[in-house]
Amino acid sequence: MIVAGCDVGAVSAKAVVIADGSIRGSEIIPVRPDAVQSATEVMGLLLRKLGLSYGDIDRCVSTGYGRGVVPFAQDDVSEVSCHGRGAHWLVPGVRTIIDGGGQDCKVLCVNRRGLLRDFRMTGKCDAGTGRSMEIMARSLGVDVSEIGPLSLRSTSPASLVESCSVMNEIEVKRLVVEGVDAADIAAGIVRRIARHVRWMLDGLDFEEDIAVSGGIAKNIGVVKQLEAMLGTRMVELPADPQLMGAIGAAVFASDHLSGCA
Amino acid sequence: MRAMTGGSERRALYAGCDLGISSAKVVIVSNGAIIAGETLPYDNFPHDAADAAMQGALRRAGLAPDTVVPCLATGFGDKAVRFAAGTAPHITCLVRGLRALNPRVRTVIDVGGHTMRVTNFSGEGELLETAFVEECSGATGMFLETIAQALEIPMDEMAAALNAAEHPVRITNTCVVFAESEVISFINEGYSRYDVFAGVIDGVASKIGGIARRIDLVPEVAMVGGVAGNALVRGTVERHLGLTFADLAGVHPQVVGAFGAALLAGDGCLDGIAEGRGGV
Repeated sequence: MIVAGCDVGAVSAKAVVIADGSIRGSEIIPVRPDAVQSATEVMGLLLRKLGLSYGDIDRCVSTGYGRGVVPFAQDDVSEVSCHGRGAHWLVPGVRTIIDGGGQDCKVLCVNRRGLLRDFRMTGKCDAGTGRSMEIMARSLGVDVSEIGPLSLRSTSPASLVESCSVMNEIEVKRLVVEGVDAADIAAGIVRRIARHVRWMLDGLDFEEDIAVSGGIAKNIGVVKQLEAMLGTRMVELPADPQLMGAIGAAVFASDHLSGCA
Repeated sequence: MRAMTGGSERRALYAGCDLGISSAKVVIVSNGAIIAGETLPYDNFPHDAADAAMQGALRRAGLAPDTVVPCLATGFGDKAVRFAAGTAPHITCLVRGLRALNPRVRTVIDVGGHTMRVTNFSGEGELLETAFVEECSGATGMFLETIAQALEIPMDEMAAALNAAEHPVRITNTCVVFAESEVISFINEGYSRYDVFAGVIDGVASKIGGIARRIDLVPEVAMVGGVAGNALVRGTVERHLGLTFADLAGVHPQVVGAFGAALLAGDGCLDGIAEGRGGV
């Protein structure tokens, strides 16, 4: 059985092919002026790479912003549902997923079959995103990748009280002016991000295991802080978080063929 | 007037350092007149930014790098100015500087990288009313820079960008995070980035004008701070308020605070404070 998922987002278009229960290949391209073109190009590229044709695909599901117009898809499913299904397919014990990317942060809960129960997403506000951490790291004068390790050396974490990330930037600069230790400021930044994720999780009836993906998973400080706050270990998802939607879409296609959905 | 006691006496030099949230400004004065200044934007390491601005000003003044000029620090980061012998509140420095540049000024609108404040004062320099925004960057330089970056318009091409605008859009969000999404939506809808940018300038000017009107704009009104150096924004704020900003004798509006700090240092504000570093 060969299934495909196609995720046409606002910024990039992704395609994934799953054959007999494992990922055969994937492709990511920047979006073209219209969604049909984006979908056709990304899937065409992947099929050529794999030496397949549309006739070889038993079923395709589309997702993302442009999911309604993908000409070769038999069905479409929302992006968040696909993200949850994809993560659960990769790590079946997962019930909660924290995905912290550069521009947004989302948390979602799935049931034991990987179907979405509930989710929260940052809206227009970038508090808790990778971008806000980058801005704060710059104000501290370190690379964003150093924030996590640096924070682990803190003995007395600084407190960042503002909720707006623009204001957090000023707070960080004020702490620097006051001569607060860089490790303590880094710990304050890490806590600020973790607190935001925790706040998003609070609205959900979340269960373990909890997985993290995206840039946030690479930050040892935030991961450790979340583990301390939630009293549990985190698992990292073994796939590019950008592909999670397309993977989930392909899994939904497979579920349909197996009569599971 | 101080009596000169002989040709060998060194001229009295004083410095002011205004360390803001996003730039360091140093001005050196002699007999109340600016002889050199330096403005350095910075992202981090405020202590070093202040040092570098002082070094730049000394160089421009033709002075040796190790020259000790009595200095008063002001602004957000005044505590981080290692070479300062004392500090003074920013508004005190602004008023002192404005009174020297144009004694008719009674109201100051200060728009910096991250904050905005408007204050009026009496003919004697006594502060009367103040309105300020410190919890939002909606009417500040940071807002302009972020949006200009999102639209890929360099700061020095803003004027040309504005001229190229045909149908300016209306930006409704004042939060920079929201406004960034809003301008991207406009671009996705097919508006030219010039039309979007013209809308942004007008939005910022209107926000500055709105905050300024919370107090009596007693004439003459001066606009200072980094954003005041942007002729486009200054002109648009003038149109929104229906007035012309006070002449500042050719001094850049961004260094008025540092200039005032240097004058205060010369006024004897540093008397009684231990000479050299660590006097605060």
